[in-house]
Amino acid sequence: MNLSGSHLVGAIVAAGMFLAGGASAEELRVGLAQEPSSIDPHYHNLGPNNSFSMHVFQPLVIPDEKQRPTPGLAESWKPIDDTTWEFKLREGVKFHDGSDFNADDVVHSFERAPNVPNSPSSFALYVKGKTVEKVDDYTVHIKTEEPYPLMVNDIWNIYIVSDEAADATTGDFNSGKAAAGTGPYRFVEWVPGDRIVIERYDDYWGEKAAFDKVTFKPINSAPARVAALLAGDVDVIGEVPTADIERLKADDGVSLFQGVSNRIIYLHMDQFREKTPFVTGTDKNPLLDARVRKAISKAINREAIVERVMEGVAIPAGQLLPEGFFGVSETLKPEPYDPEGAKQLLAEAGYPDGFGLTLHSPNNRYINDAKIAQAVGQMLARIGIETQVDAMPANVFFTRASSGGPDNSPEFSFILVGWGSGTGEASSPLRSLLATYNPDTGSGASNRGRMSNPELDALIEEALQTVDDEKRAQLLADATDLAIGELQGIIPLHYQVNTWATRKGLTYTPRTDERTVALMVGKE
Amino acid sequence: MSPADTKMVGTKMADVSTGIPPERASPATAVETPFRRFLSDYTESPVAVVAFVALVLILLIAIFAPVISPQNPYDLAVIDIMDSRLAPGETNFAGDMTYVLGTDDQGRDMLSAIFYGLRISLGVGVASGVIALSLGLVIGLTAAYFGGKVDTLIMRTVDLQLSFPAILVALILVAVLGRGVDKIIIALVVVQWAYYTRTVRASALVERRKEYVEAATCLGLGTRHILFRHMLPNVLPPLIVVGTVQVAHAIALEATLSFLGIGLPITEPSLGLLISNGFDYMLSGKYWISFFPGVALLITIVTINLVGDRLRDVLNPRLQK
Repeated sequence: MNLSGSHLVGAIVAAGMFLAGGASAEELRVGLAQEPSSIDPHYHNLGPNNSFSMHVFQPLVIPDEKQRPTPGLAESWKPIDDTTWEFKLREGVKFHDGSDFNADDVVHSFERAPNVPNSPSSFALYVKGKTVEKVDDYTVHIKTEEPYPLMVNDIWNIYIVSDEAADATTGDFNSGKAAAGTGPYRFVEWVPGDRIVIERYDDYWGEKAAFDKVTFKPINSAPARVAALLAGDVDVIGEVPTADIERLKADDGVSLFQGVSNRIIYLHMDQFREKTPFVTGTDKNPLLDARVRKAISKAINREAIVERVMEGVAIPAGQLLPEGFFGVSETLKPEPYDPEGAKQLLAEAGYPDGFGLTLHSPNNRYINDAKIAQAVGQMLARIGIETQVDAMPANVFFTRASSGGPDNSPEFSFILVGWGSGTGEASSPLRSLLATYNPDTGSGASNRGRMSNPELDALIEEALQTVDDEKRAQLLADATDLAIGELQGIIPLHYQVNTWATRKGLTYTPRTDERTVALMVGKE
Repeated sequence: MSPADTKMVGTKMADVSTGIPPERASPATAVETPFRRFLSDYTESPVAVVAFVALVLILLIAIFAPVISPQNPYDLAVIDIMDSRLAPGETNFAGDMTYVLGTDDQGRDMLSAIFYGLRISLGVGVASGVIALSLGLVIGLTAAYFGGKVDTLIMRTVDLQLSFPAILVALILVAVLGRGVDKIIIALVVVQWAYYTRTVRASALVERRKEYVEAATCLGLGTRHILFRHMLPNVLPPLIVVGTVQVAHAIALEATLSFLGIGLPITEPSLGLLISNGFDYMLSGKYWISFFPGVALLITIVTINLVGDRLRDVLNPRLQK
């Protein structure tokens, strides 16, 4: 693994030094893999949108590069009883349109965020069950019905907009008419498909922005993005393809920055049907048997995938989040490669000659996704599981994987997917991937294997209501041990490591949430 | 006056020299069958002969791919991720095999993958060509023979079909039908039948006005008999020319679809998919993943086109000396 901690720290220190050293007068051009679908920070809960919003708008609490909460428009916050959190707001903050920031803007933003018309993916899930009360101009209380420890991780997704433009539409934001936030940059223009321009906001309350002007250029194709950087058309690019890393390392004009993300790439298996559609050679669903799932895990050579498919840019995984994140298990390690042990387990489970299986995977969602799927196919073929690989575009894949079967059940038997923990801790993957599927409460929303274990559900439920950090971390670790270590609910493959490239002279502080933002760009 | 005189003399002399038969004599001595004549016309171009030999070689490679390939590139159990992206000439992890043309990103032997890829490309190209040709033949003859409303209906449909870019139609069809060799063939047939129909109709219209068709009609022969026994053999030559060019076209189209990632399953790469896989590695200098399948595709399409061009020259009466 060539991702050294010191490299990471070095990058952060370098960025910090630059920021402390003050601003320079120049333009930064950023090559984006995906363009935001809107400037309205409440319109579409989508990675590129949330990344862009960070420049212009701010939440009460800002997640730093490791998704740790840092003060944003709230200077401090604390739970004052089991169901109430108090936020003390920053005074003297002005929006880009000149209006003052106060508690009314917070109340307005929390009302607006879940109710934007035609939102393709709403921010309602972060606001649901929360009541925002203005106590005075610079204090708000957020109440919940149950104790809710993840308050901060939820509300950092809600960007605060000015209540001066209370009835601003998404179109008003896109045209720039209402796109006033409190962030270090102000919005200038958006030409869809071509560029988004922002410029430094001189009255920003915190450290002033590092660049006078930032231009984002959407360049979807990875080789084209790399070529644009090499040609000097852009200064920074995100989502550098692993195939080009070697080439870029050798280039003196380019610096690379890598950081592990909160995203795990894993295999999910049908654990609810007695007969599963994409298994052949047997009448039963072999994936119901934990020994078979364990055998699959043992058959996978994670080191080989990391070395040969990911070109060394990934970390073999044994659980839901890399070490260092909140709520991970101390004991779970990546399952060692053991094809003989795997064959033995298969024989014990009653499949000495294996069976046939189709692995479905997206081919444009995660780094090298279809290639990983083929490598997994090779490894399973070696223990007697004849594997077909079917890779398809992500929009088709996710619809079918989540609800393509009869009665909107998951269609596939065996899938390769990824999950990034939006909260930056272990409850997000546990609740979404491994808790019992329940559309009413939202638990198990992405549990496409439909595993259901009452003991695990109880642990997760308890953790989600425990405000005490230490106790909650332990409960989450216990739940992970049970879900992965014992039940093999999912099979972790690796944690994604993201790569950014800049032209020589610039630095990028990698973010665990994989976002490409100009705020992370510094100067050497 | 005198220059004109000499000119006249000159042409007369030329007439005499070419008119008198060293050439005329030779076909008279050999048995002149249409096939022999075709053969001697064809072999007049050495390039066409080379192209034909190359094409036969490619066909043999495609047919015997499973026998001559060092590895079965579609069997996941025999390819090894530890051998991925090896340069041409390197040996495998186990040390018992040399990858003459290197390996792709999954550790597939490129040589075997190209052999199997040719098999898919040619198979898809020829199968879709034959089906589209047969369809075009029947529909085109029908349109030409019946004329009137039938003709209008068919030809406007053809116009409609041809007004869409082939790649767009194929993309939509494959997206709707799904993956697989059979689906690709269906898509390619749908894209191509119109070309054949138009060609057949055009030459059949010419044939229909000829005396032998009139004579056949006067003899009271049935429609089907006239269409298929009398007119069909006479519209075949241009069709063969269009056919060869269309097969090359179909192969390129299949490669394009695979390159875009919507053609065949990724575990059974055709030439287009191999090129697409290698595309990711172009900037990092691993040229062989894209380069060799690209060369194979190029040679295949060029040889088919050369053979097709020559056939057109030989079979076109207007171009004959």
